[in-house]
Amino acid sequence: MAARGNTGPKPNGSAQGKICQFKLVLLGESAVGKSSLVLRFVKGQFHEYQESTIGAAFMTQTVCLDDTTVKFEIWDTAGQERYHSLAPMYYRGAQAAIVVYDISNQDTFGRAKGWVKELQRQASPTIVIALAGNKSDLASKRMVEYDEAQTYAEEHGLLFMETSAKTAMNVNDIFLAIAKKLPKSGGPGPGGDAGSSATGRRITEADNQPSSGASCCK
Amino acid sequence: MDPTALIQGKLRPGEKAIVVADAGIVQDWVKSPRLIALVEKQSEHALIIFSPQNIPVTCSNDVSFSNAIPIDHEFHCDPAFSKRKGPIPDFCWVQDYWPLCPEMDSSSAYDAVSVNDIAAIDLCDDAKGDGLDSDGAVRRRAIAMGEAPIAARESVVRYQMAQREGAFTDIHNFRIFVGTWNVNGNSPPASGLLEWLACDSEPPDLYAIAFQELDLSKEAFLFNDTPKEDEWTRAVITSLHPKARYRKKKQVRLVGMLLFVFVQERHDAYVTSLGGEVVGTGIMGKMGNKGGVSIRMEIHSTSLCFVNSHLAAHVEECERRNQDFHDICSRLSFSNFMPPKTIKHHDQIFWFGDLNYRIVGIESNAAKAKIDAGNWSELWSKDQLKQQQKDGKSFMGFNEAPLDFKPTYQYANNSDEWDNEKGRAPAWTDRILWKGDHIENTKYRSHPTLRSSDHRPVSALFNVGVKVIDPVRYRKIYEEVMKQLDKLENEFLPQVTVDKLEIIYDVVKFLEPQSKTLTIANTGQVPVQFEFIKKLNDSYFCKPWLSINPYADFLKPGEKRDIELRLKVDPTTVARLNSGQEQVYDILVLHLEGGKDLFITVQGDYQRTCFGLSLHTLVQLKVPVSEVPTGKLLELEADRESEISACNAGVPKEIWLMVDRLYNEGLDEDELFFAKQGLDVEIRAIRDALDTGTPAVLPGNVTSVAGALLLFLESLPEPVVPYRFHQQCLDSSSNYIACMRVAAAFPDHHRNLFFYICAFLKEALLHTSKNGLDPRALATLFGAIMLKEPVGSPGQGLPARTEQAMKARERQKANFVYHFLVNDFVDATGP
Ligand SMILES: Nc1nc2c(ncn2[C@@H]2O[C@H](COP(=O)(O)OP(=O)(O)OP(=O)(O)O)[C@@H](O)[C@H]2O)c(=O)[nH]1
Ligand SMILES: [Mg+2]
Repeated sequence: MAARGNTGPKPNGSAQGKICQFKLVLLGESAVGKSSLVLRFVKGQFHEYQESTIGAAFMTQTVCLDDTTVKFEIWDTAGQERYHSLAPMYYRGAQAAIVVYDISNQDTFGRAKGWVKELQRQASPTIVIALAGNKSDLASKRMVEYDEAQTYAEEHGLLFMETSAKTAMNVNDIFLAIAKKLPKSGGPGPGGDAGSSATGRRITEADNQPSSGASCCK
Repeated sequence: MDPTALIQGKLRPGEKAIVVADAGIVQDWVKSPRLIALVEKQSEHALIIFSPQNIPVTCSNDVSFSNAIPIDHEFHCDPAFSKRKGPIPDFCWVQDYWPLCPEMDSSSAYDAVSVNDIAAIDLCDDAKGDGLDSDGAVRRRAIAMGEAPIAARESVVRYQMAQREGAFTDIHNFRIFVGTWNVNGNSPPASGLLEWLACDSEPPDLYAIAFQELDLSKEAFLFNDTPKEDEWTRAVITSLHPKARYRKKKQVRLVGMLLFVFVQERHDAYVTSLGGEVVGTGIMGKMGNKGGVSIRMEIHSTSLCFVNSHLAAHVEECERRNQDFHDICSRLSFSNFMPPKTIKHHDQIFWFGDLNYRIVGIESNAAKAKIDAGNWSELWSKDQLKQQQKDGKSFMGFNEAPLDFKPTYQYANNSDEWDNEKGRAPAWTDRILWKGDHIENTKYRSHPTLRSSDHRPVSALFNVGVKVIDPVRYRKIYEEVMKQLDKLENEFLPQVTVDKLEIIYDVVKFLEPQSKTLTIANTGQVPVQFEFIKKLNDSYFCKPWLSINPYADFLKPGEKRDIELRLKVDPTTVARLNSGQEQVYDILVLHLEGGKDLFITVQGDYQRTCFGLSLHTLVQLKVPVSEVPTGKLLELEADRESEISACNAGVPKEIWLMVDRLYNEGLDEDELFFAKQGLDVEIRAIRDALDTGTPAVLPGNVTSVAGALLLFLESLPEPVVPYRFHQQCLDSSSNYIACMRVAAAFPDHHRNLFFYICAFLKEALLHTSKNGLDPRALATLFGAIMLKEPVGSPGQGLPARTEQAMKARERQKANFVYHFLVNDFVDATGP
């Protein structure tokens, strides 16, 4: 009789029942491949003719680490310049951001730096930022050197990887690296307003264990 | 039984169950039944949710509390109410139920349930309106709306993993020895207990050893304290199987009932989550002379519960024993768990002790004769426990091995003879039962060589299967489940398509509304709640010149909705568009609850007009607006501070044209300014004539010209009476001389216009006999327009003044203008 109150199996050292949820936002100039990265990560697909995003697309995806499970709430924003002023709605309250540029386009790298600066000034101070040099499959058209981006990322405390949504190179890895870097204690970070994003999506705190905490069988 | 009456029986005095409905809670992929009751107490209402323990529900014991939610006066059922910190003024009576409601607990496992309970209630509402398929919709909506996503996700994962348990667990065999002995207050025999506890060749992995009547003294009963406990503990420890090393995991005692659990040392690390609890059912239903003591634990991933009970004595007290059994079941709860676990919340349950059921329906000596002849199997059908089980009155669902041993009660002291003094029939009072999967009994016996009590010890051996998780397989399956849930969640996100992302209006003109339609279609699999939401730092979801209808709505899958986007530039918005402070351009954010946002761009070319230009600009324009380059116009509008030379401070030609028309043709018009609003088409024609300079004589009826004049004055960004004189005018409104003094101080172009209009109104009042105009009414109309409230002042954004205060202000404005309509002010016009 599998009683309902039974909390079920939780073997030591294996993935536990605890899931942490984080809001992650993708930023970067139009056509650098933000939506393509999400599509690759979430569905394992790639579209040669990916439509430009007019709005903010939303998806979820879970990553299993050794000791915790991280669930990303992913907001893929519109890169077109005219929608720039709407971006704060989406990075506000985000615990993680991926700033994307296209390695075959120097301007997009400059624009990425602008996003990093804006995030570091305006977003939650604890936000984890990753820089993604996308379209790494287009090596013959490379305009942004790996070392240049790597140095920039180091100087600004960013995670950095060159990715390709087309070949899937480093796509899971960059999300995994972010998941590892995010603070797991007590779910949403100390930002405070993580509880409700700008768009009114309701999020219940993952962690409201009773403080009087009769020890459960963890 | 009528469910309302049944629920009523669970409530406290003064609380009334108004209606009770069957409901289901859909917790992800599992649906479990609930009863929802609307309960009233002194005009406060609450929903109390019960979970049935037995189906069909036939008595009030068959349901238990699962949730209690207050309903406020606006008929909101707020689940957060239960999470609120601090004292709650109302609903104390509802709060009193919370400790009884496991699903109210905020521990993660049950959190999801309470939230889903609410989702289910939500849905009933929806279902009424839209006839939705309730089950499907609850589940989908709960997913789509991301309600308590984590808690819900955790409970789904738990359920899904439990479903796949076989794929990642191995069953390991465990040998369990269960022993029970009513020792009748005696001390342990000097020879020890090896004959009982170590009678098998191989050592068990786990011992559960139970005693009853450990100590029959008053002290033990009243103070629950006995020196016998240590004596027996020592006796047990020294008599465990010599071929293995054991560790005591737990020991619980209530008066004379004592229970130990020992495990072999090599298993020690895998025995976790221990708990021990006692329940007294003796005197007054509470005392510990009867009742049960229990130990629970988990071995690897299997939960076990051992219960040692001493039920009511005497042949005729069979019902009482049944009652004791039920009381122990319902009252024994391991309170160090959140939510507390009860006996039934275990994979494997072993229940044993002096259950006190007797042999009935046969005369005592006849029974003894059969037993002494070895024919005790003929007595099985006369055993009360077997009978009660068969009748479903107690120990339902419990198993017992064949009673292949002599009854264990009641013997004469230190003898194999029956105790004949009391003349009782012998009985199998001492029993061992079990319930659960993977339990195989291999031995069930008594130990007649231990003679120190009037009972004989009994023991049973079990081979049980314990679930052991393989971490590698577990992880693989866990990841699969996660992947599946992600897929499901993403599939059930709200999806819509809109027929356009850009709304482009034709040339946008003052007072010429235009409507465009945006069609939103729900192309996803779940109902969608959409809403236009405001952007950061905005106070409204669209610009004041736009209206969206409906701006929020609910769409079922496959449904479409036409949204009207109506653009209208009116006197309140025209000035900012003229001056270039604002464009006819906006990005609307269409939000799907629980999902993505779409951006809809709205734009149009705005055609500037003289309406809504500042007086400062108007007096400087010598040609019609259409002939002024936009750049020049913006330049003029940007600079409203510069000095206007006296020769430029005349009345704007547009106003002169309108007043001239009225002066020539309108003075005898009945109720000019009041009778009719003027025709929109004519007012637009007047607008065009003023903006282009042709035709030279304004078109339209005089009432339209009057309407245009009022609109013109109303549209001025700074009214005829400049804002900085506003308060002064009101303050001096009771005194003509003071009013004159304030008016004289206006900047030239404002003062000139003010007196020009007043002079015209005075002229019109000379024709009262024809036009019926009244100076009070005129003063009120023009007072409100010429002394327009400053933007952002009370009444226009800031916290509203009281209605009374606003009326007083309107009266002061009227008074101010009135002075100039009834007094001769010609002298004051010159500087
Ligand atoms: N070769 C190559 N092409 C890519 C890669 N990633 C994306 N693309 C292509 O780049 C184009 C733009 O990709 P999107 O994913 O739409 O770009 P985006 O950043 O989401 O653009 P916006 O939505 O406008 O902000 C598409 O045609 C993709 O097929 C990549 O890694 N390699
Ligand atoms: Mg995109």
